[in-house]
Amino acid sequence: MDFLTLLARIADLSPATTFPSDVSARRTALTRLGQAGAAVLPPVLAALPSLADAKVLNNSTILDAIKLALTLEYLESEFYTRALALPNATTFFGSAENRNAIQTIATHENQHVALLQRLLTEAGAVIPAKPNFDFTGSKNGAQSALYPDVFTNLDTFLKVAQLLEDAGVRAYKGQVEFLVSDNYLLEAFVRTHSTEARHASHIRTMRRQRGAVVKSWVSPSDAAITTAGSTPDKAYAGEATTAQYTPGPRVVPFETTLPINVGDPLLNREALLAKVAEAFDEPVDAATATELAQLFIY
Amino acid sequence: MSNITQKGSDEAEFAKPLYTPIKRRSFFMYAGATAGATALLLSGCDDDEGDVSNPTTTGTVNLGSGDVGVLNYAYALEQLEAAFYAQVIANFASGFSADERTALTAIARHEAIHRDFFKTAITGAAASQIIPGLTPNFSAVNFSDRGSVLATAKTFEDLGVAAYNGAGALIQNPAYLGIAGKIVSVEARHAAYIRDLISNGTFADNTTVDSNGLDKAMTVAQVLTAAQPFIRETINGSNVGK
Repeated sequence: MDFLTLLARIADLSPATTFPSDVSARRTALTRLGQAGAAVLPPVLAALPSLADAKVLNNSTILDAIKLALTLEYLESEFYTRALALPNATTFFGSAENRNAIQTIATHENQHVALLQRLLTEAGAVIPAKPNFDFTGSKNGAQSALYPDVFTNLDTFLKVAQLLEDAGVRAYKGQVEFLVSDNYLLEAFVRTHSTEARHASHIRTMRRQRGAVVKSWVSPSDAAITTAGSTPDKAYAGEATTAQYTPGPRVVPFETTLPINVGDPLLNREALLAKVAEAFDEPVDAATATELAQLFIY
Repeated sequence: MSNITQKGSDEAEFAKPLYTPIKRRSFFMYAGATAGATALLLSGCDDDEGDVSNPTTTGTVNLGSGDVGVLNYAYALEQLEAAFYAQVIANFASGFSADERTALTAIARHEAIHRDFFKTAITGAAASQIIPGLTPNFSAVNFSDRGSVLATAKTFEDLGVAAYNGAGALIQNPAYLGIAGKIVSVEARHAAYIRDLISNGTFADNTTVDSNGLDKAMTVAQVLTAAQPFIRETINGSNVGK
């Protein structure tokens, strides 16, 4: 066992021995380490319940999870804030209803940023600076834009919003397994996760009301907003899987003859499996989430 | 613990402060967020003993303890949702558009898939501990009235999301946590859709998302209190996750 893994295990195995009187000393230690740099912090903060799990959970840590979440929340927060600040915002959004919905979402993203920053501060970690964002995807003009009219065409704006929200849901989902030993942080993440899912649903509803072929949930029947094989498409790659497992692992059968086939008419196998794909949202790992965020960071 | 002592207490003392404050600090932060969440966290902290001695009397369904208890808890709620939507789509109330009927039929299918997914999961993990099929009581729902159907759907979807959000901390096996995560976001998408049907723009209003941007979480006890009027059997969830 290497030294850092050992530390990580100890960190996880000993929380019950914390006493209030130790807090100030621990905060001092945390602050020092926070200043020592990210290269030291992540492995030390890792919460790995066992050696076996340590292999599965590889390098991702609680601090990594919080930082990834903060990057995504910075991204979303900045995206909506810029749109709401457009000089022609009233025209851009077309209706008070649209604008209010975006304002509701923006408020939540700002709250998520503040919450994650507080978590980092309390842990004595340094808050990463907000990156530079270019929502056209041109990296500040260094390459051709993916979404050149993102702030001049509401349909493009909503497409990017859907991409960010759907990707955000998948990213949070991918991080929860690293938080299983910390119930408080875990609950913060799962509750943020379902807020993001509500946002994604509403953005999709807005797009559908404007004529797009899209469900309020991720469906194989949605008209694609990304090109297969492209980096943006990683927000959707794998979402259509119909293979779901329970521990064992055992694959769960989804057959037309089972009681899952409800409604009139009953569905054929292909149509039923499309409903199975809709019924489960899939996670993405930290590397994929980072790659998606990098589309808009320069 | 023995290998830790062998490696030296200096390391243990070095590591502990790094990890524990975030838990302690964030606890207080969330304690202020919602009273319900706090109650859950407290109950989830200190009691790891399993209690399998509760007798299952006639008319009472005991969800059990540990992860199986959480799975039965989810299975019970998915049974309720699936039964509700099955009745909704069997005979649509007037006033639902074709698009809305398609969406509600899709939701009915999602819930039936979730229900049977948990049935398979529990059967695989602990076949002897799976709860039976529950008997729904929808006497308070007017299935021929659009407003009554949507209000009930909103109740069930929001309740389901809050239940999963509150149960996350009770789950021990990360695999089950992953499964819950795959399902809860679909429930949240349903909830937002239904809310927007009732009143567009209420998909994440302050009745469900708090001032930290956190969606609601409820304890097992709170959820079962809300769900019990819709179920004939008496549900005992007192050991779920313990």
